[in-house]
Amino acid sequence: MAAFEYRQGQEVRDALARHGVRYLFIGKAGAILLGFPDTTQDADLFVERTPANGRALVEALRQLEFAITDEQAREIERGKDFVQLKNGPFDLDLVFAPDGIERFEDAWQRHIEVEGFPVCHLDDIIASKAATNRAKDRETLPRLRSFREYWYRKQRG
Amino acid sequence: MTLPEDNAIVEQVGIPLEWMEEFEAAARRPLEMRLRYAFIHTYKPVLDDAPYRAFDTMADYRRWCEENLPDWLGYGRV
Repeated sequence: MAAFEYRQGQEVRDALARHGVRYLFIGKAGAILLGFPDTTQDADLFVERTPANGRALVEALRQLEFAITDEQAREIERGKDFVQLKNGPFDLDLVFAPDGIERFEDAWQRHIEVEGFPVCHLDDIIASKAATNRAKDRETLPRLRSFREYWYRKQRG
Repeated sequence: MTLPEDNAIVEQVGIPLEWMEEFEAAARRPLEMRLRYAFIHTYKPVLDDAPYRAFDTMADYRRWCEENLPDWLGYGRV
């Protein structure tokens, strides 16, 4: 399995846009898109949970050459809370109900576009990691909070 | 991740100097380069051993991680 690359990021962005999928990059991948210098192993997408959005997502993923069976497609369309895909050209996690964020629409209202990539607001990324409270999130949070301070100051000029 | 050893702080912004320098350096790089450095792939036992997994709830997923993944991967809740 190859690491996620910029070109693949573009392919995800473009394929999901073509199919009209409503989603946001979240997690460390989202923070990295916002400028956070760190490493990660996969990309997490926060996907709006509606049947139509799920169907559009499955079509886009199949176009990206993820080997999704019909049963798996039904699960994605139903919007299970968490789906882990390692059956395509790169690893992708689909999160339909991230910890720390109540509704997709709230996150969508706050989201940021980075070169066409829809990304959760940094505050939402941090809220989600804080709520998840795993050891690996605990390690990342102090530096991520410092980055938020830097990022806000940069936004204000 | 730990604080830089000298715990140097840029007083005006409360950000450790070492991190501030990293943030500034990253801001100077184009997105394509940032992503090239950011995504790495190393084998994660158990986690990488199935092509597809789905969980009805996040609680189910967290529980599965705690029951099945080695602690050192860091997926257990604190």
